[in-house]
Amino acid sequence: MAILNNIEALNQGLTQAMERDDTILVFGEDSGFEGGVFRATKGLQEKFGKKRCFDTPLTEAGIIGSGIGMAINGLKPVAEIQFQGFIFPALNQIMVHAARMRNRSRGKYTVPMVIRMPYGGGIRALEHHSESIEAILAHIPGLKVVIPSNPYDMKGLIVAAINDPDPVIFLEPKRTYRAFKQDIPDEIYEVPIGKARVVTEGEDITVVAWGALIPEAIKAVEDLKTRGINAELIDLRTISPIDTETIIESVKKTGRFLVVHEAVKSFGPGAELISIVNEKAFLNLEAPPTRLTGFDITVPLAKGEHHFIITPKQISDKVEELVKF
Amino acid sequence: MFEFKFADIGEGIHEGKLLEWLVKEGDTIENGDSLFLVETDKVNAEIPSPLAGKVVDLKGSVGDIIKVGDVVVVIDDSSSSSVLENETPPEASVEAQAEEKGAAVVGEITVSNDVIPSFHKQETATAHKEKKKVLATPVARKMAKDLGVDITLVAGSGTNGRVMKKDIQEVAGSKPQEAVASPVSPAGASHTAPALSRDFKGLVEEVELSPVRRSISNAMAVSKQNIPHAVMMDEFDVTDLVVFRKEAKVAAETKGIKLSYLPFVIKALSIALKEYPVFNSVYDKANEKVIYKKFYNVGIATDTDRGLLVPVIKGVDHLSILDIAENLNSLVTKARDHTISLEELGEGTFSVTNYGAIGSLFGTPIIKFPEVAILGIGKIIRKPVFADNGEVVARHFMPISLGIDHRIIDGADAGRFANRLKELLANPKLLLMS
Amino acid sequence: MLTDVYNPLKGEMFQVMDKTGKIVNKKYMPAIPDEMLIKMYRTMLLSRIQDEKSLKYQRQGRMLTFAPSLGQEGVQVATVAATEKRDWVSSAFRENATWLWMGQPMENIFLYWCGNEEGSRIPEGVNLLPVAVPIGTQFNHAVGVGMSLQYKDEDSVVLAYIGDGGTSEGEFYEGINYAGAFNTPNIFIIQNNQFAISTSRTFQTKAATLAQKGIAAGIPCIQVDGNDIFATYAATKEAVERARKGEGPTLIEAVTYRIGPHTTADDPTIYRDAAYHEEMLTTDPIIRTKAYLIEKGIWDEKKEEEARKEFDTIVEETFKKVENVGQMPLEEIFKYTYEELTPQLREQYEDYKRYMKGGNE
Repeated sequence: MAILNNIEALNQGLTQAMERDDTILVFGEDSGFEGGVFRATKGLQEKFGKKRCFDTPLTEAGIIGSGIGMAINGLKPVAEIQFQGFIFPALNQIMVHAARMRNRSRGKYTVPMVIRMPYGGGIRALEHHSESIEAILAHIPGLKVVIPSNPYDMKGLIVAAINDPDPVIFLEPKRTYRAFKQDIPDEIYEVPIGKARVVTEGEDITVVAWGALIPEAIKAVEDLKTRGINAELIDLRTISPIDTETIIESVKKTGRFLVVHEAVKSFGPGAELISIVNEKAFLNLEAPPTRLTGFDITVPLAKGEHHFIITPKQISDKVEELVKF
Repeated sequence: MFEFKFADIGEGIHEGKLLEWLVKEGDTIENGDSLFLVETDKVNAEIPSPLAGKVVDLKGSVGDIIKVGDVVVVIDDSSSSSVLENETPPEASVEAQAEEKGAAVVGEITVSNDVIPSFHKQETATAHKEKKKVLATPVARKMAKDLGVDITLVAGSGTNGRVMKKDIQEVAGSKPQEAVASPVSPAGASHTAPALSRDFKGLVEEVELSPVRRSISNAMAVSKQNIPHAVMMDEFDVTDLVVFRKEAKVAAETKGIKLSYLPFVIKALSIALKEYPVFNSVYDKANEKVIYKKFYNVGIATDTDRGLLVPVIKGVDHLSILDIAENLNSLVTKARDHTISLEELGEGTFSVTNYGAIGSLFGTPIIKFPEVAILGIGKIIRKPVFADNGEVVARHFMPISLGIDHRIIDGADAGRFANRLKELLANPKLLLMS
Repeated sequence: MLTDVYNPLKGEMFQVMDKTGKIVNKKYMPAIPDEMLIKMYRTMLLSRIQDEKSLKYQRQGRMLTFAPSLGQEGVQVATVAATEKRDWVSSAFRENATWLWMGQPMENIFLYWCGNEEGSRIPEGVNLLPVAVPIGTQFNHAVGVGMSLQYKDEDSVVLAYIGDGGTSEGEFYEGINYAGAFNTPNIFIIQNNQFAISTSRTFQTKAATLAQKGIAAGIPCIQVDGNDIFATYAATKEAVERARKGEGPTLIEAVTYRIGPHTTADDPTIYRDAAYHEEMLTTDPIIRTKAYLIEKGIWDEKKEEEARKEFDTIVEETFKKVENVGQMPLEEIFKYTYEELTPQLREQYEDYKRYMKGGNE
């Protein structure tokens, strides 16, 4: 057992996977020698050599496009996009090729590739370094999208993503890269993709969140206990495909639903979850299924960012509102 | 760098207009040198610099409105403090490696050695207490709330035990709720009528119910199934009222108002309902409470080509007899030419049904659920009666039938209420004095 | 090296055989066995007939929009003929003759243009990537395949094709640059057929040649007469050898002419001068190659006629077969989104299946 933070856990997962399978290559801008701007791939080049962990020229389309070519010919590329805000030049390759190659070639050519990137705001950064576009990616058929919230899941999900036969987008909440540590198993293990996790059990309301908002939601759940409310918190972990079963089972028990996400409100992942709740648990509802989200704006720069960040109190207040409906 | 903010100069001002810059960018200034001239609603003031240095940036143009707290001038005073106001940076523990901290390239990442709980080892926690939950649409839940029904005590007759609206309505009108013994027989359920046999032995014509008719049909069934009705009948001597009205009618006509007997009855009701508040209440069966209404809206059952509608005259206690008459006529017209609104048909607290207009005398009117009483009025008839001295005299009588919800109103109450009405209508002058 | 001799910056285009079929540059004439020459010609001819008939089918409403390779059969065959079976090709969308040479069944090609994904289920052993509609993206795929070959220490190479218009796309440059940076075994072929739909080649860039864009990426580059199968073959062969030896990528600009429309939804008479078109028709690779073969004595009009008849029948029968392939079964549209159906997909499929069974259309 080791006590690691999110970055360290990710690094351990990558290392252990690469030890066992030499078709895994890790690459991206500054990912090789330096180990990535957040040091996620630190030490991999030293350990496995430049052929397996390397720096690339500055071209997102090139990184992803070439990753697709590699994957087609039997390798398992783990490509890094330096910040989610820079994914857009590669979105073409992702949407049109990575996601579709299996379908296009009727299964002859597949893309078992992982595309990982730091995502989300709250670090008072320059423009383009705070995006949360999981909804855009989840909307693309053929892709899987995962967002771990803690070191155990970081390691387990990166291993699962690498082993997945389909392209997986691996979003890392950068705000919490080093914000806390956790005791995780030393051996290699997988966390299943498509499975959410019940963080706390409760019977008054189902709260779904992911990524950097899980620690905030946990604080909210503690606060709610003092208000006499027992919330069931679910860490979604996989945005696509959604673990509908776990969520619905919970809503049928509690009768109330709140989804909390940093991403923009309109056309966001919350809308999808609420639709699912309506479709499958309509008669169980005692209050309208609700979403607590970011605004429909570009994430503000440092001076205005605090308005955008969702606090534990906002979460508890919203929960209380729903419980009193 | 020092950011000089526009401060409240002691007069309680919030903002001012920048009149003039007294320095320019690049100027070297001393402590106390005037920076700019500002006009407030109290004074024009020269604002001095609190320190020496070099003027770096003037934030604003002449004519701008500046608010207290706005940064107006940036002065390079050669201090090492950062330009931007930083919130206290998050605590980095001693062990946080320098290279990690610098490894953000942009932005600031919180670094901490706090350890969060592991969960992969934990067993599934013991189940919490099960709160009873039901299947029901939001509409049904709202109905239960409105009718004061605890939905968790209603056994559902729908698929998978879903609580339907009719289940709620049945429970709302029946005996106090007990815990459900079996899901099959709901508490207080009424007997459903057997299906109609379609084996007619003769010619029939099938006509579908109109929406209004359907609505009336449901309302009548709900009322009768839930309220134990009792009806108290009497005849009111209205001879004086007849005379009074004849005169009053003429005066009313000059105002363009048609004056029938109903406005007088309603006026009498407005007085009596205040004195016998239970007749102007609703019965909250679920919580076993009587809710007395302090507003008086009298509904008048009106015969229309679509069926029975009950327009409501609101606040009859504030209206004069003529006002009531005017309202009444207007509502009835609207009801009959289909221009009446939902609002005009709602929020009644007591109802009146005047079948006397058709010629009937007595009836057993059905209370408009969830009201608790209804006054039926029959045709006024002139009859011979014995006076006190034994002579036979001709008097006018108005037959009334007072329907009551016998759960909360007894026959004696009904009698007393009716007597008061009788008194008021026997002597119309009393209507003016109450 | 040919790439040293023929400098695109000096406007020097590499040619071996002129448009009449005469060899004008014996020094660099490649040694191609007669059998292979015949195969190359026959493939060009088959492709030509397939396209001519397809245009008719399309106008008859029996085929959807497609992109004919008329006039470019020379480039397409001569380049791929310089590779081996184990080598890879990353396609754009106008490489019909290349596909036929590699062993992609004509039936598949028709299936694809008729809107059936089965056409892109490329047979085992044929290292051809499916059509890449977003222009330029295929270059980065090619580089990736090249990197995988390097990693596995195999000496196969990867061809990638693009049009003159495509060279304006970012991924064209990103691809050749990336290949150069990693020294991958890639051969990039620009089929400069003079037009990007209606936009003439000269509008695409101020650069005098497209080949010289390789200079910016630091890789060897050459401009060849694409309708001259010998020059094209020779230049490609040299690039293939270079790549196999681990000496990195090459950029080849093959100058050719798009005899037909961009696709069947395009009318070139709007933007192409009739006289210019007539003139360009004389550069047809089939004309000059046929002349050369007849001159060499390994082909004649009788063989020509027989071949044409044979190919006509092949095309006719193949197309009819494809025409009779029915609608795609419902399951097929879901099955290949992921390796396994997600719960959502399974539910959507089952629901719709149930709905259809209920007699709904």
